[in-house]
Amino acid sequence: MIDLGVFLTLLALGYGFGRYAELKHYKSIIQREKELNILPAIAARTPPMISKACDCNLVTGNVVISVDYFKRFISVLRNIVGGRITSYETLIDRARREAILRMKQQAHEMGAKQVFNIKFETASIYKGKRQQVGSVEVLAYGTAIIPSQGG
Amino acid sequence: MGPLSFPAREDSKLEYSNPEIPEGINTSKTHPLKEFLWLTGGVMAAIFALVLILILFADVITSYIPFSVEQNITFSGVEASTEEGPLPEYLQSLADRIVRAEDLPEDMKITIHYLDDETVNAFATLGGHIFFFRGLLEKLPNENALAMLMAHEIAHIKHRHPIRSLGRGVIVGLALSVISTAAGDAIIESFLGKTGYLTILKYNRDMESQADETAIQALNSIYGHLGGADELFKILKEEAGRLEPPVFFSTHPLTENRLYEIKIHTEKHPAHDVTDITPLPQEFEKWVEEKEEEKTISL
Repeated sequence: MIDLGVFLTLLALGYGFGRYAELKHYKSIIQREKELNILPAIAARTPPMISKACDCNLVTGNVVISVDYFKRFISVLRNIVGGRITSYETLIDRARREAILRMKQQAHEMGAKQVFNIKFETASIYKGKRQQVGSVEVLAYGTAIIPSQGG
Repeated sequence: MGPLSFPAREDSKLEYSNPEIPEGINTSKTHPLKEFLWLTGGVMAAIFALVLILILFADVITSYIPFSVEQNITFSGVEASTEEGPLPEYLQSLADRIVRAEDLPEDMKITIHYLDDETVNAFATLGGHIFFFRGLLEKLPNENALAMLMAHEIAHIKHRHPIRSLGRGVIVGLALSVISTAAGDAIIESFLGKTGYLTILKYNRDMESQADETAIQALNSIYGHLGGADELFKILKEEAGRLEPPVFFSTHPLTENRLYEIKIHTEKHPAHDVTDITPLPQEFEKWVEEKEEEKTISL
């Protein structure tokens, strides 16, 4: 009975805080994406054609987001019945977008106009270990094109 | 190392931009609580249905549980018993003869345990373990009565009565342990109880009659008659009359009926003479007593 109480409390806390954090995060992501839209991030491997001389610099954006108890419980049930783990989809989506935003922010501060050849690295921090909080790390990196000061 | 520099290029017509991507492509629009309710509801309904089916067919399923599964269930009580020394060895050798007479399957291993306690009882339980209390052994007048008792208990094992009487609880526990080991064990444990569940195994009257029937046949094939076997039931009857009837006796067929059964069978296969009755080993009485003395000294 106590176990059930603890479980339900954790579930409610997980849902409450997790949901609040997620909605807040999405709001912030959408707003910052609009702000940084002036700085396109491109997946092309080669630099675009540019008339002016420019500097290229590595820019990275890194983020670690933890899963909450509620999300994990849903994923456990999904392990039984199969299907889209929607609770993890939002987690990964937020992590990737946040990583790009941080990368773009870094590029923006360098005075870059574009970032090309962007790539992702995704890592599971807990590597499937039991009794550990699951969290995901996403690293986004690319090459920022900064117009040369000397022209 | 400074940043890499690229020279300027001639044609620069390409323009890059990031469009605003609409929300909800990479994520699901379903509300998490709705998904939660669907999932928990569905999974719980499935488990409930499974348990219901298991309960309905428990008796059929138990007979298909391999004996080895029974042997793997660990239980308390074995530590208190003795398996070494002349008495347990004698009991085990008698048990081996009965096992052959009752034609038990190869994998059904019978283990005899001797408990130095005044309780007038003997019982068979999960995993082929049979327990004999000193209280009952010291009352037995001859080997035939002991063999009848042992054959009866071994017959319980042969017909899978221990696991069948636990039935539903164990079935549900074993099934759930596939999904969650913790939940399954908890259920088995709550049905068996942490201590002393060995003696609460109840066999119904049909099971007892079946065990009697098998035991009588085994005795016939070993000794060729049933002489002396009725002594066992006379002792049990005496015990039942003296004490308030314990659960053990109340679930057994009425002793009168059991004596009658033996009488009918005795008429079919009459003992030639009272001298046909096999006595217990000469030291039997000493074995049963010796233990008691050792125990008092150690106390």
